[in-house]
Amino acid sequence: MDAEEIYKEMADSIVNLDQEKALKLANQALNEEMDLLKVIEKGFGEGIRKVGDLWDDGEFFLPELMSGAQIMEKAVDVLTPKLQSSGSERQSSGKVLLATIEGDIHSIGKTIVATMLRANGFQVIDLGTDVKAEKIVNVAINANVDIIGVSTLLTTTMLNQKKVIEILEQKNIRNNFKVIFGGAPVTQGWVDECHADGYAENAVESVKLAKSLM
Amino acid sequence: MSFTQWLGNESKIILFDGAMGTQLMQHNLDPGKIPDLLNIENPEIVKNVLASYYDSGADMVQTCTFSSNLVNLERQHLSNRLQKINLEALRNIKDIKPSSGKLIVGDIGPSGEFRPPVGEASGDQWKNGFQQQAEVLEAGVDLWHIETMSDLQEMSAAIHAIKEVSQKPIIASMTYRKTKTRGFFTIMGDSLETCVNTLEKENVDVIGANCTLGSDQMIELAKELVQMTDKPVSVKPNAGQPRLEGGNTVYNQSPDEFVNDIEQMINLGVKIVGGCCGTTPIHIQKMRMLIDNR
Repeated sequence: MDAEEIYKEMADSIVNLDQEKALKLANQALNEEMDLLKVIEKGFGEGIRKVGDLWDDGEFFLPELMSGAQIMEKAVDVLTPKLQSSGSERQSSGKVLLATIEGDIHSIGKTIVATMLRANGFQVIDLGTDVKAEKIVNVAINANVDIIGVSTLLTTTMLNQKKVIEILEQKNIRNNFKVIFGGAPVTQGWVDECHADGYAENAVESVKLAKSLM
Repeated sequence: MSFTQWLGNESKIILFDGAMGTQLMQHNLDPGKIPDLLNIENPEIVKNVLASYYDSGADMVQTCTFSSNLVNLERQHLSNRLQKINLEALRNIKDIKPSSGKLIVGDIGPSGEFRPPVGEASGDQWKNGFQQQAEVLEAGVDLWHIETMSDLQEMSAAIHAIKEVSQKPIIASMTYRKTKTRGFFTIMGDSLETCVNTLEKENVDVIGANCTLGSDQMIELAKELVQMTDKPVSVKPNAGQPRLEGGNTVYNQSPDEFVNDIEQMINLGVKIVGGCCGTTPIHIQKMRMLIDNR
């Protein structure tokens, strides 16, 4: 079997949510000393992109989205030690800080976004829920992230999303970061009003948005 | 009149209430705090909203208990207040309910915890959480509304929980989004048809849909729903989509547009109408006039 065929099988294993097959193929890639960066990009990575397309089409739903992303992560975990020891690392798509804003303890949407971003090659720092805007900004500076993602489910706590941008502006570092919003009540109008860099309707869209901002 | 008699009366359109949460926010509800706590901490605000719906002509209004199942309260470190919140919620609605001809609906919302692979909740955990809430509410409600469920398995757990402690009628409302090409599904992947089949097997009294969809998309869903089942159908759509204006949350649809859509749903055969997020006593008043003038 040539490499292209194996890549296709890898992509299929993610789309078919077949963890056993995905892990077997990841180990096969190690044994056959395949180009592991290509394995991730053209193999498993292609699979997770297709999972995203199937979500867009209404063929896949939350359980499939999460399973696909989790299998992708496990397959990448198999490859990571070898990648690191060989000095070549999976190219990061970018570094993202995620948090649900102060006053809001809803985590599920943010967790799904984090999982999808990781599966798509982003490094993700997830600060959890009910996080103060000041803390979000401090961590973003210290970790030197590219993108700050702020989530909220409640219309009442939406106002705190704006605070993140205000603090960045006060510190004169607004241009050092892209700031994106997530959550059911967020609209383009709100993004414009806050001078944020974008928002996404769901986890699949958030990956596209993050890639477009890098 | 009992709810079952209303259902049996062919000409009766039952008017449900409008939003609780978005109404409470108008009263500077503390962001992040669950509205149900106001039953204890500021009962007058809750009573005002409840009374405003009865006064606007709603036949039945639901308790302010959307978030007060055990699983949800545990996450907020409030599990020791389950009994108190639900008891006070009952007291608040009983205090203001007009003396005759109106009903109290026990409101049961989702647990906020998903099953694997999305989260870690189990069916038993869900059922136990709902049952503890239902045991308290059973003392004062006339019927139940399980609402905003995005997982049919969680809905079934709530139905089973209620049936352990109550023989009162159940309205079972799932929340759907419209997919690009395949019609209405829950985010967990249950199609409208699958939901209807399961809810018929569970033998609920009314099959409903609420939240997520605005009234325009709800017309489309209602059309399909009344075709799929002989059970009475209930709808509680949102008043368009929320946006912020000068720091306040506003909904971009006028009450008249909303009520026009509701009229179309009644004409399609929907039996129970009300509103979800963004709807107000004005929406309910206008729906009362619509129903009375038919």
